Amino acid sequence: MGDGSFVSLVGPSGSGKSSLLRAVIGLQQPLSGTVETDLARSQVGILFQDDALLPWKTARDNVALGLTFNGMGREKALAEADAWLERLDLAGFGDRFPRRLSGGQRKRVALAQVLAMKPRLILMDEPFASLDAIVRARIVKDVVALVEREKISVLLVTHDLEEAISLSDEVYLLSQGPRARITERYSVPIPRPRDPVHSRTHPAFAPLYKQLWTDLSREVDHRAEAA
Amino acid sequence: MRLDPRYTWVRQLAAFAALLAVWEAAGRVNMLNPMYAPSPSRVAAALIDLFSDGRIWPHLEATFSAALGGLALGIAVGIVLGVVAALVPFIAELLEPVMTVLNAIPRVILAPLFVIWLGIGLASKIALSFILVAVLIFFTVFTGIRQVDRRLVERVITLGGDRWSLVRHVYLPSVASWVLGNLKIAVGFAFTGACVGEFVAATQGLGYLLSFAQSTYNAALMFALILLILVVVLIIFGIAGRLEKHLLRWN
Repeated sequence: MGDGSFVSLVGPSGSGKSSLLRAVIGLQQPLSGTVETDLARSQVGILFQDDALLPWKTARDNVALGLTFNGMGREKALAEADAWLERLDLAGFGDRFPRRLSGGQRKRVALAQVLAMKPRLILMDEPFASLDAIVRARIVKDVVALVEREKISVLLVTHDLEEAISLSDEVYLLSQGPRARITERYSVPIPRPRDPVHSRTHPAFAPLYKQLWTDLSREVDHRAEAA
Repeated sequence: MRLDPRYTWVRQLAAFAALLAVWEAAGRVNMLNPMYAPSPSRVAAALIDLFSDGRIWPHLEATFSAALGGLALGIAVGIVLGVVAALVPFIAELLEPVMTVLNAIPRVILAPLFVIWLGIGLASKIALSFILVAVLIFFTVFTGIRQVDRRLVERVITLGGDRWSLVRHVYLPSVASWVLGNLKIAVGFAFTGACVGEFVAATQGLGYLLSFAQSTYNAALMFALILLILVVVLIIFGIAGRLEKHLLRWN
C-alpha cells in the first residue's frame, strides 16, 4: 500500500477480512505468511466496529490514553485530547462519560483516540456499520477530509460496496474463505479531494459498482456450488 | 384514581402510621397479648431504656466491630483469591469446587464450629461475617475478571498499552465496579454473620441481646432490637449506596 492511499477490502463473509486487519496490528498471528510493514507499531491505528471506549473514563481521558502509553505527559496529553475533540466537533463533551454520548459521538471519540496518535496507517473494521445513515454520512465525510489532509493511509474492511468505491483509491476483492485470496484489484478513477456523497454520482461510479457486484456475486455463487 | 408518583412516600408513611395507630389501640384495649405483640409505645419505651442507661453502646460496638471487621477481611481476601484464581488456572481448579460448596450451603451453619475453634469472643463472629462476605466477593471477582470485555483489552493493547496499563485501566476498574455493585449485599451478609454469631454464643452484641430477650420472653426488647438492627443496617446501606454512586458515576 502506498503512502496516503485509501484501500478497501471487500469479500464474502468468512473470507477473513477482519482476521487480516487483526494480523496487521498484531492482535492475532497469521496462520501462515507474514505481515510486512515499515511502520512502527504506534504508527498504525485501528478503528473497530464497536467503539470500545473505556466506560469509566471521560471522553477526554479516553483520547489521552494512547498518548500517555507512548510517553507523553498527562497534562500535554489532555490538552492534545481536547484539541482533537474540538477538531471532531466534540468541543464541550470532553468531560462526558461514554454512556452519556450518542453512538455518533462515541464514534467520533474513538476516531479522535486513533488520530491523536498521529498514525500513518489506520485500519478500519466496518467502523460505520452501526450508525444510522445521516450520522454515518457526516462522520465518513469528516474522516475522508482528515485522512486526505493528513496523508494517512487507510485499509478499510467493509460489506458495503458503495462505501468501498466512494471512499477508496483501490478496492481489493477477497475470494470466499477458507484460504481466501485477493482475486481482483480495482482502481477508482474518481479524483481527490472527494466528497463521499457526490462521489456516487461520478460517471465512473456506476460501472465500477456493477463490475464489483458481478464479481462478488460470482465468488459467493462459486462457493455455493462447491458446497 | 391516579396515584401521583411524587407522593408515594407520603402514602407509605400514612399507611405505616395508621398501622401503628391500630396496633397501639388494639394493645390499649387488651386485644393483643403484650407477651407476644407488645404495643408500639412499649417497644419505644424499651428502645429508650436501652439508650438511656447507656448499656447498649458496648453491644453496638461489639456488633459493629464484628461486622465491619468481617466485611473488610472478607472483601480483601475475596479479591485476592478471586484475582489469583482468575490468573492461575491451577489455583482455580483447587478453589472453585470449595467455593462452590461454600456458596451452596447456608454458611451460617458454620457458626457453632467457629465458636468451638475461636471461642465465644469477637473472633468467632468476625470469622462468620468473613466467610459470608469472602465467598460472595470471590465469585464476584473471579467471574468478573474472566468476563472482562475483550474489546476493551484489545483497545488498550492497540493503543500501545502494556500489561500494567491493562491492569490499571481495564482490570482494576472492572473489578472495582463489580465489588462496589455487590457492596450492599456484602454489608447485609456482614451484619447477618455478626448477629447470628452472637446469637449462637456470646457475652455481648446485638445478637446476644436478642438471644437474651428470647430466653426471658421479653418481646418488647426483641422488637426494639430488631428495629435497632434495621436502622443500623439501613444507615450502612445508605453510606454504601452513596459510595457506589460516587465511584460508579460513569455508569
